[in-house]
Amino acid sequence: MKALMITLATVLALSAGPAQAAKEWGIDGEEVAQFEAKAVDVLCELTGDCPPNCGDGKRQMGLLTDDGKLRLALKSNTSFAGAALDLVPWCGKRVEVDGLLIKADPMTFYMVQRLRAPGAKKWTNARAFSKAWAKENKQKNASRWFRKDPTIKALIAEFGPVGIPGAKIPKP
Amino acid sequence: MRQVLKQFAVALALTLGVALTAATAQAATSETKRVSVTGEIVDTWCSVTMIMFAEGSGHYQCAVWCAAGGIPVSVKDEDDNYYVVLKVEGEDTNVASPSILRIQAHQVTVEGDLIERDGVKYLLVTQVANDDGIVNLSHEDVGIQPFGK
Repeated sequence: MKALMITLATVLALSAGPAQAAKEWGIDGEEVAQFEAKAVDVLCELTGDCPPNCGDGKRQMGLLTDDGKLRLALKSNTSFAGAALDLVPWCGKRVEVDGLLIKADPMTFYMVQRLRAPGAKKWTNARAFSKAWAKENKQKNASRWFRKDPTIKALIAEFGPVGIPGAKIPKP
Repeated sequence: MRQVLKQFAVALALTLGVALTAATAQAATSETKRVSVTGEIVDTWCSVTMIMFAEGSGHYQCAVWCAAGGIPVSVKDEDDNYYVVLKVEGEDTNVASPSILRIQAHQVTVEGDLIERDGVKYLLVTQVANDDGIVNLSHEDVGIQPFGK
């Protein structure tokens, strides 16, 4: 019985690993990439213009790898949202990330799917934007946030859904 | 003799300190090149990954979503170069830049400083020299992508 329990626990442990790893999107040039790096304010890194705490979420963030590569953190795990709020708590510190490194023809960048302190067991899902948006807009969650966001609604009201006021939209 | 050695050590430390400071400052900045770029303001994620149709008026709504969500915006020129807008003169943020939010999918000419690093062309915009508005009327062929109105 004990042997059976140990075997079962081992199988579960092994099967749990890959299931929780970064999700592939099938994008040309993508590769699952889990690594440690220093979280940096990209503009600061490039120009020396460095506000305190990486701009507190007002600056695009990047990952400076141990071999000196700067990876722009372009996307998070929140639909239609970037990764600045996920990485800003790690400003200037080392962080372990898991996600997709996308080496497309025109450019290379990183999608952060989860992150944790180096050596820590528990991962955090890269959905800081969702949490911040829900809090700021006094919502229970950020489900379909892009349909409810007041800034977006104001822009669509002003310019229309195709960006041209009064434009006729063909029926699908 | 001890005094001379002490002065020499202080001088050496100061010299090394200045040299290290200069090296650090150099490492923190990258070479810039003055450029003028003409192209469409695009949602970098959808456009580069090609996970959906991502050009012109048909993708305008989604481009606004992504820009408001803080995904970096680019100027895509006619040779398919992507210039990630990392700064707009006079703004203190490059996440959901208010001025760039208002010109999604527009055809523009911008002037600024280009910094290339590790596969990315970063653009520090000093001036939007020309804005033709939305000229790619893709919605006439594809409607609103994705999800519709």
